[in-house]
Amino acid sequence: MNIKTTLINTALSACLVLPGLAMASEATLTDAQVNEINEQYPMPSGKMLGDACAACHGTFGAEFNEGMPPLAGMNRQHFIDLMLAFRRGDFPTIVMHDVAYVYTDAEIEAMADYFSALPAAQWPSPDTHRSAFLHEDGTIKQIGGAQ
Amino acid sequence: MSSSQSTLSRRDLIKRFGAAAVASTGLFGFSHQAWSKQSAHIVIVGGGIGGAATAKYLRLANKSVRITLVEPNPQYTFCPGSNEVLNGHETLENLTFNYDNMKSRYGVNVVQDKAIAIDYTQRQLRLASGDKLSYDKLVVSTGPDFIYDAIEGYSAEHAATDLPHAWKAGPQTAKLKAQLDAMPQGGVFVLSSPDGDYRCPPAPYERVSMIADHFSRTNPTAKLIILDAKNKYTFQNHYEHYWKERYGFGTDNEVISWVSEQDGGRAVKVDARNKTLITASGEKIKADVINIIPPHKASKFAVESGLAQGQRWVDFEAKTFKSLVDPNVYVIGDMVNAPMSKTGMIASNQAKVVVESIIADIEGREPGTPFIANNCVAIISQEYGMTIADTHRFAGDTYVTQKRISAVTDNPYERHIRANLAMNWQRTFRKEIFH
Repeated sequence: MNIKTTLINTALSACLVLPGLAMASEATLTDAQVNEINEQYPMPSGKMLGDACAACHGTFGAEFNEGMPPLAGMNRQHFIDLMLAFRRGDFPTIVMHDVAYVYTDAEIEAMADYFSALPAAQWPSPDTHRSAFLHEDGTIKQIGGAQ
Repeated sequence: MSSSQSTLSRRDLIKRFGAAAVASTGLFGFSHQAWSKQSAHIVIVGGGIGGAATAKYLRLANKSVRITLVEPNPQYTFCPGSNEVLNGHETLENLTFNYDNMKSRYGVNVVQDKAIAIDYTQRQLRLASGDKLSYDKLVVSTGPDFIYDAIEGYSAEHAATDLPHAWKAGPQTAKLKAQLDAMPQGGVFVLSSPDGDYRCPPAPYERVSMIADHFSRTNPTAKLIILDAKNKYTFQNHYEHYWKERYGFGTDNEVISWVSEQDGGRAVKVDARNKTLITASGEKIKADVINIIPPHKASKFAVESGLAQGQRWVDFEAKTFKSLVDPNVYVIGDMVNAPMSKTGMIASNQAKVVVESIIADIEGREPGTPFIANNCVAIISQEYGMTIADTHRFAGDTYVTQKRISAVTDNPYERHIRANLAMNWQRTFRKEIFH
């Protein structure tokens, strides 16, 4: 069985057994499998990887007014350290441990380069309207482990 | 790449956008360079999440391409969040956006018209008004259409009048809410959930949960029945866990009942006059409000323009989302045959892959490797949220998926913070597409 078939089967079977499980369902590619794919195709760029985060973290990672923290302008090493900690499952999070585990070291570094080079300013303008976490004036309303 | 011009005349533009906008600032504050005849003209069909994200990210990637967005409606209403309109936690106004930002901030020529055909040879899009738009690249993101005849007696006419599916947020959502609010005390609500791929897999169950929450305050003796054409569904363990807690699910007094396909849940016919749904086994279920969510297929435009090639969904080249019919045409969103869920986040991230592909073609280089994420934060109530994290890694002629779903939890902090996060996510996502 070739690698791609294996991967597809892994992913498929994990989808199919989804309901009824008490524990989180997983379709995990091993590091070796991800590396094998990545050897066949160029790595996605930091921008391609980073822009896929925008639905939650805002355009260019520049949503500063909601529970999901901004990424734009984030310190490069801090981004890397956090993502590696999420990937290892070092501490419980709301969702990021279930997101970060798929990325390789090189992909995390590429995203760190991308986000650390972006300006730390709200896209496109400040907006605290109806935020669950911030007051209208930008002060904190509620502290949540909202990663 | 050869250049081509829109056949829309300057007079047409003035007619559409006002003389001041055309005369004074160049169009919409963007430089005249944006309308240079040498610039490639990218035409986008469909102003939903996929089309709007394509227009915005195309402009962010390139200042000089000409971008035209063709959409028949003057505004768009987000489906994410629309189930919460039913229990009064959201308003359609909050979910509805016009195209002003597309015009002023992103220099997009928004044409309120309906695309009806593609002339692939001439690279022209034909519009219902009779206008023709020449394109260098065409992006089609026209969503799904509904297979009404899967339920005998159901139709687009019924959906627009007495039996709204409300699976495209907007007036039908308001109508369904009005029907629910007018339901007699102790009445019965029946929802028919489809099989096959459809928009937002957990949404039928989310909808029933929102309605049950609403009825807990307004109509506590009402019953809700889900007739399902499937035997399992996304987040099933979460929904059942919470429904057991709050609605006696699985007991004789359950408020919400779920009938799987194998237990006779498939609805095959509706008798609108007698407000009755009829199942595959011939059982008749009379209800006060009937909500049929029909199975989906690719949009009418995708079918009639030949992009679907006679299939239910539209095939594409995995790396670029180019149509297999014509490499100058890109296809994304709920209408494509992708090994991914049909979600707004997926459509928005497919749009970014298309933008990279178009820019690479313009620059004469190979497009970068795609990577598509889908992180879904769903709710059962304002106090219970849960997450799916999907990533789709490019693997040659397809994508491979890694997926994790949050575990069922009784921890009130985790439940609550995820529900809050879901509402945060909806706002952030709306801004990401339309701001």
